[in-house]
Amino acid sequence: MLAIETHGLTRLFDGKPAVSDLSLAVPGGAFYGFLGPNGAGKSTTMKLLTGLLAPTSGRASVLGHDLADGRRALEVKRLVGVVPDGLSLFERLTGVEQLRLHGQLYGLPRAEAARRADELLVAMELTGDAGKLVGDYSHGMKKKLALAGALIHGPRLLFLDEPFEGIDAVAVSGIRRMLQELVQGGQMTIFLTSHVLEVVERLVTHVGIIQHGRLVAQGTLEEVRGAGTLEEVFIRTIGEDLTNRRLSWLVEPGAGG
Amino acid sequence: MAGLRDTPLAAFAELRFRLTWRRLLGRRGIGELVAKVIGYLLLIPIGLVVSIGIGAGTFRAAHAALHGGPQLGLQVDLPVTAMFLGLWQAWTAATLAMQDQESLDLRRHLVYPLRPVALWLHGQAAGLLGDPLALFWCVLLGGALVGAALGRFGAWLLMLAVLLVLFAAATLAWLALIQELGARVLRRARLKALLFAAFYVALALGVALLAGLDRHRPVLRDALAAVKWMQWLAWPGAMAAGGARRLFRGDVLGSLPWVVALAATTAAGGWAAFRLALAEARDGGAGGKAGVGDGLGAVAGRLWPGPLGALLEREVTFLTRHPLPLVLGIILPAVAGLVSWKMRPYLPAESGEVVRALPILGVALYVHLAMQSFWLNGFGWERGGARLYFLAPVRLEQVMLAKNLAVGALALCIELVSVLVMVLAGGLPPGWALAGTLALHLGAAPWFFLLGNAVAIWNPRVASLTLQRSGSLPALSALAGMVIFSGVTGLFALPVLLALKVDAGWLLPPAWLALGALGGLLWWKTLPAAARLLQGRREELLAVVTGDEA
Repeated sequence: MLAIETHGLTRLFDGKPAVSDLSLAVPGGAFYGFLGPNGAGKSTTMKLLTGLLAPTSGRASVLGHDLADGRRALEVKRLVGVVPDGLSLFERLTGVEQLRLHGQLYGLPRAEAARRADELLVAMELTGDAGKLVGDYSHGMKKKLALAGALIHGPRLLFLDEPFEGIDAVAVSGIRRMLQELVQGGQMTIFLTSHVLEVVERLVTHVGIIQHGRLVAQGTLEEVRGAGTLEEVFIRTIGEDLTNRRLSWLVEPGAGG
Repeated sequence: MAGLRDTPLAAFAELRFRLTWRRLLGRRGIGELVAKVIGYLLLIPIGLVVSIGIGAGTFRAAHAALHGGPQLGLQVDLPVTAMFLGLWQAWTAATLAMQDQESLDLRRHLVYPLRPVALWLHGQAAGLLGDPLALFWCVLLGGALVGAALGRFGAWLLMLAVLLVLFAAATLAWLALIQELGARVLRRARLKALLFAAFYVALALGVALLAGLDRHRPVLRDALAAVKWMQWLAWPGAMAAGGARRLFRGDVLGSLPWVVALAATTAAGGWAAFRLALAEARDGGAGGKAGVGDGLGAVAGRLWPGPLGALLEREVTFLTRHPLPLVLGIILPAVAGLVSWKMRPYLPAESGEVVRALPILGVALYVHLAMQSFWLNGFGWERGGARLYFLAPVRLEQVMLAKNLAVGALALCIELVSVLVMVLAGGLPPGWALAGTLALHLGAAPWFFLLGNAVAIWNPRVASLTLQRSGSLPALSALAGMVIFSGVTGLFALPVLLALKVDAGWLLPPAWLALGALGGLLWWKTLPAAARLLQGRREELLAVVTGDEA
């Protein structure tokens, strides 16, 4: 069964396509890495799949539910966890309040949400900052808290938009291990966007590459990268190499002003 | 000229101008631009008209001083002092209440190789030019100068012009200082709690003192004499008035120390405000800590099971951590008490019981007006959290319901405290007036929320988490708020006309409850429509309140 399936998904902004005729197929239980250069349409796609944006045309279904069917919207949301670009945190709540209320909004009883919040704070190494306002958290701490929020209700599908951006290497390693365990246990499908290709390559089972809003490659990791590395395939597919571009005032010593 | 254009500060000014201009001309900025233009079109002509009145006053004062005589105190000193203190007071009150000037977030711009003081001064100047109300006061000062010139032309006018410019600068510095100090105090939970407690202790002492006024009149007089030094807290008005009195009397040399003192205190006040702003920017400008009322959210959250309880808890927690409700919780009861104490003796028994009850009835609506930022821009403080409403499996009706219930509960608390203070300060009104103020407050609430929800969804604006930064309402929403408030006030004034005619105040509580029930029904029935509107406008709303658009 496909966890995510789209057909001809298109989104225009002021008449210009941000996502164009996108046909994704994410198998259930996959760890799907969605890659693309800046402005390719990764975050827009994720917003379309999580209901933050409405498509201009095309269809999308998540866990077998058509997203256009408004009657099933709440049901779908209950099954999904999201760490969106820009996060979804209330700055005037403390970390522990944020997680507990997050859990309650996803339908957990208060006591159970509080228990899971405590467990997640330990797992994310945020226990010492649990009573601090989210507005006072560092960027990395916010990312970890947002990830904890996305996991609190035990989703079947997890959307992660650049989850490793701004997080230190030790924390990345811990989170990576946790995510791998979740997928390997067969409990969850993960759809992830990231610029850190080495991390993605070690994590994912499936890859999709998007450029200028269009899907240019999709398949299992082995199918997509073939004999090379994911980075080589990515640069070859995107077709951009900035290594030979020089800046005139930085080339010669003393030329800068 | 080319050299000036090439300075980093000129580039910075261009950057800010372009950002503002693009924002105003953008898809969502046109409304704000229109509201700003209306603001200028209304306020500048009104300012010109009022400045004629002020000019007439300074004309008479300048003219009277030519002839001298025993009446100079009445003809010169009193109007000149009243003008400066009145202008200072109105300027201060309007700026602190409206908070709608273009402000500069120093923290964001410290990265540039520009002197922080230059950035701050640029922010102050841009705030003055971008705020129609600030220009309004300057027009009035211009009227004062022209009136004085017509009354007595001479070299003394140069000194008066300097004094007026210094007065405007001093008031701006004073406002910046008070805003920075206020923000500092309100960011600290313990200070906030102490301030809150100190206010209510002082209030209780004041009420006790007033209750025994006849017996303790000498004590009160001594107390007032002891706190007379407090007038210097209003130094822009007090010092400018001191210098102007001497200038109008023809004593230019005598005014010099006042002018110098005003310049020095302006520089010192401005410098202190700048240092505080800079320190806050370098601190990271954290929004604030938990404080007064913490824990109320959890209580509210337990009232309802499921997502509605969680939403309500979040709203109440947010409101108790925002500095504005605390400020309103202090200021509104104090003002209400003052009005009740000072106004009641001027309302004779012959005016009828309805007229005599108007102050206590008026406060019921005024509380809603003071809270308008929260019901007209309910999503303005959410930041990224707003995304959760659309990601989590919650019904958007419940989001709106929780917002309205939380703001309504807070407004009711402030109303109840205000009424209590009014009763203590002005005596017990008739029973129907007490029931009436509550019926009016509760009855008007659903009308404000019903219309406010639409405004909050249609025209949100990312709002400040502290008191002193930027405005909390877009200009267009502020205009809409004026229309809504006037309309609802007009609707609830209809029964008053009948009650006045038959002088039967007891008619008002049931009439207002009936209007409230109608409003409540409409509000309840339109919550699903508000939810659909919210769902339909989620992209625009998120772009604004999450800061993506900025």
